[in-house]
Amino acid sequence: MTLARWLMLLASLAVAAFVAIAVGTITVPLSAVFDAFRGVTDSTPAMVVTTLRLPRVALAILIGAGLGMSGAALQGTMRNPLAEPYLLGVSGGAAVGAVIATTLGFGATIVPLAAFVGALTAVGAAFIVARAAGSLGDPRVLLMAGVVVGAFANAAIMVMLANAESNTVRNALWWMMGSVADATRMQITVLFVYVAAGGCALVLLGRQIDILALGEDAAAGLGVDVDRAMRNVFVVASLIAAATVAAAGLVGFVGLVVPHIVRAAGVRHHRSLVAGSAIVGGTLVVLADLLGRILRPPAELPLGAVTALVGVPFFLIKLRRLR
Amino acid sequence: MATRITTYSALRASSSMARVPVFRLRSTVLIFASALSAALSGCRAADAPRVATAAADPVDDFGNRIAITKPPARIVSLNPTTTEILFAIGAGGRLVGRSQYDTFPDSAKTVPSLGPALRPSVEAIVAAKPDLVILYASEDNRPAFDRLRQAGIPTVGFKLDSIDHFRRDTRLLGRITGDSARAVAVVDSVSATLERVRRATANLPRPTVFIPTWEKPIIAIGGGSFLSELVEIAGGTNIYASIPTPSATVTIEDIVARNPDFVLAGRDRERPIRALANWRAIPAVRDNHILAFDFDLISRPSVQLGAAAVAIATLLHPGSVR
Amino acid sequence: MIRFDDVVVRYPRASVDALSGVSLEAHRGALTAVVGPNGSGKSTLVRALIRRTALTRGGIFVDDKPVATMDGAELARTVAVVTQREELAFPVSVLEYVQLGRFPHLGAWHSAGERDRRAVEESIDAAGVRELRERRIDAISGGEWQRVRLARALAQGGSALVLDEPTTFLDVGHEMAVFELLHRLARAGQAVLLVSHQLNLVARFADHMVLFHHGSVSAAGTPDDVMRADVLERVYEWPLVVIRDPAVGAPALVPLRSR
Repeated sequence: MTLARWLMLLASLAVAAFVAIAVGTITVPLSAVFDAFRGVTDSTPAMVVTTLRLPRVALAILIGAGLGMSGAALQGTMRNPLAEPYLLGVSGGAAVGAVIATTLGFGATIVPLAAFVGALTAVGAAFIVARAAGSLGDPRVLLMAGVVVGAFANAAIMVMLANAESNTVRNALWWMMGSVADATRMQITVLFVYVAAGGCALVLLGRQIDILALGEDAAAGLGVDVDRAMRNVFVVASLIAAATVAAAGLVGFVGLVVPHIVRAAGVRHHRSLVAGSAIVGGTLVVLADLLGRILRPPAELPLGAVTALVGVPFFLIKLRRLR
Repeated sequence: MATRITTYSALRASSSMARVPVFRLRSTVLIFASALSAALSGCRAADAPRVATAAADPVDDFGNRIAITKPPARIVSLNPTTTEILFAIGAGGRLVGRSQYDTFPDSAKTVPSLGPALRPSVEAIVAAKPDLVILYASEDNRPAFDRLRQAGIPTVGFKLDSIDHFRRDTRLLGRITGDSARAVAVVDSVSATLERVRRATANLPRPTVFIPTWEKPIIAIGGGSFLSELVEIAGGTNIYASIPTPSATVTIEDIVARNPDFVLAGRDRERPIRALANWRAIPAVRDNHILAFDFDLISRPSVQLGAAAVAIATLLHPGSVR
Repeated sequence: MIRFDDVVVRYPRASVDALSGVSLEAHRGALTAVVGPNGSGKSTLVRALIRRTALTRGGIFVDDKPVATMDGAELARTVAVVTQREELAFPVSVLEYVQLGRFPHLGAWHSAGERDRRAVEESIDAAGVRELRERRIDAISGGEWQRVRLARALAQGGSALVLDEPTTFLDVGHEMAVFELLHRLARAGQAVLLVSHQLNLVARFADHMVLFHHGSVSAAGTPDDVMRADVLERVYEWPLVVIRDPAVGAPALVPLRSR
């Protein structure tokens, strides 16, 4: 992709972020936005910017970037255009962790941690199931293992919620619908580390993913250690996905749709695909959050609901292309 | 006189502020389902066989006619407010079952607990062999309501969101249990205290108040709740008084836009509120104008309403009420 | 230059060896063909070479260096393998696809240089797919796809070429074109190791034939040595005769009706 196109993408992200900071239930005038950036926070609008809008937008960008990159890497590695970051049981495991923590009465600091641990446990379980069933390198086996783990997780959640207090159920449902409303500085920092480190790793793995896309034997013939490369991608992509889920709950469709958007712009090599997906993903989630805030005032649509809506036209378009 | 339940309120369970859950149903499908069943329940009430009695036959908050011929001897009450009221009007001794949240007055704790107040176990209720069951009138309880009626057990549903509900339903409970005189006395006493508080604060400047009941998502008390009315009586204004339902989901930016003078919260919610980073955008939180009230006193629209009004007035206007 | 030395491969949970003590050599400048019935271990041989299957015993050597100790990229720079199947989920252009063949030389970071560009163009010419250069690989025919795959293998720039059933789904004309190209490459100095079903074509073009049966070498030598009716009948379990094809002067197998 040409430099001009990259700059355009970055510019779109910047514009989207700016609009999201300024627009909402309270329209923050431009002067207040600049005040906030300069550190002057005595007026209420400036306070709104620093305490409410900036954390949301920052978290949204990180979520979108992480999920976009994870999805791009997974689609290439698994040679499956419908692969997405929650594939290996991340969403199910995270939800189980969050529901357990909520049922036991834990609050806002423990639930994300439990979700993270749950997500990684589920991915580990998927690996174990896949290894027991056959090869680790066959993406179909891993896919099925992820489905198995996900099914188990769903059953566990239903069992737990069936006998839970209404408050627990509400908390769990709210968490599962995804939201950047409660962004804290700690969450943003931690997620930044995961997304930045993981993103660099995925970009470095980009060429190998290009080769993996030819098939396992062909990739081996070109000198790629197939099992190791696939494992690396899965681990990094799942870590990023788990970190995003821990920070903001389940935000679906981003990891699935964003790589297709970037590919539609003519990007084929995975180094650029991953990087491009980070930018487009960040933009998408920022806009989704903005939409959720302004569609039905004064209430707020959960982030996961808005991104799910995005999935509908996406699949319709893909269906038409299938002819 | 019975306030017709709007579709919307049928949707939002009242926040009687107890652990009676504020189960806020969000999905559009559920909104339609409830709208449909609320409409249907209206039809059902109309189809109930018309006995040629006085038009003053009472109707419960599910819209069904209350046809109780003799005072019940074994009552199951699954609601903290009705349980407390029953004790206040002298019918407490006849209780054979309560919900797990009904802990006032102290003697209520000796009544066997039959579990949750919403979606209760019908089997447990039937096993207690009651001749009257009192449920909270929300859509969650409609299946239980129907099944109990099918089993031949007289069942009524009471809403108890507002102070008017309290007055009406206390009187109704009195009629049903045969303790009308005591019921009227209770209502009058509470009304008198409320009037006293209202007069004491009538001419004082009215601060604006925000009353949260939950943080994730943010749920605020709306105009349809007794708590909002208590605040009005105590000389304040609920910033969400214009919302007709007992509670509503709101966003933090909306609260900041309305800029309440005070945040009124139960004592146990004070710490969680202070811990939330993004709530500091609300000037009242930032300037530490958080008023903490005794949750047990103020959480139910029952016999303690008068004392509750006094407590809130003391928070808003210290020294105004003796 | 590629030497298999008493190679034994048994898949996990299998009761019999897929390869039981196979030894064979593919020399530079010669076309070596491995033939045999389905399931005789031919594809396992290729998979063992690219280290997708672990050896139970024995060793594989490229230029007398054990494959097991070689770096993956080093092996790929010396031996180019065209596997039986290849599926691309996300289509690229023919040029980009052939460029992927330079990966063993570029690694994760280096950009393509002049040498890489030249290697790609030369491979495209050698495989005869110049006119397909800008086309997308999902927009070309099966025969064209096989030749494009060959171009990618050539772009790897090695001195050995290993192909597993490269003429499946190809019609007569395309099949002949591929065999002729392989023959030319062998004559030009490459070590070409070919796994194929096409006994008669192999007999015409190969310098050295190896007949597999149940995982071991049943016969090896020139096509005349291997193409014997008694041997082939036993291996393929079907009545047949071997004639000398008058048109091309090479031995040809003619299957008979079952008795």
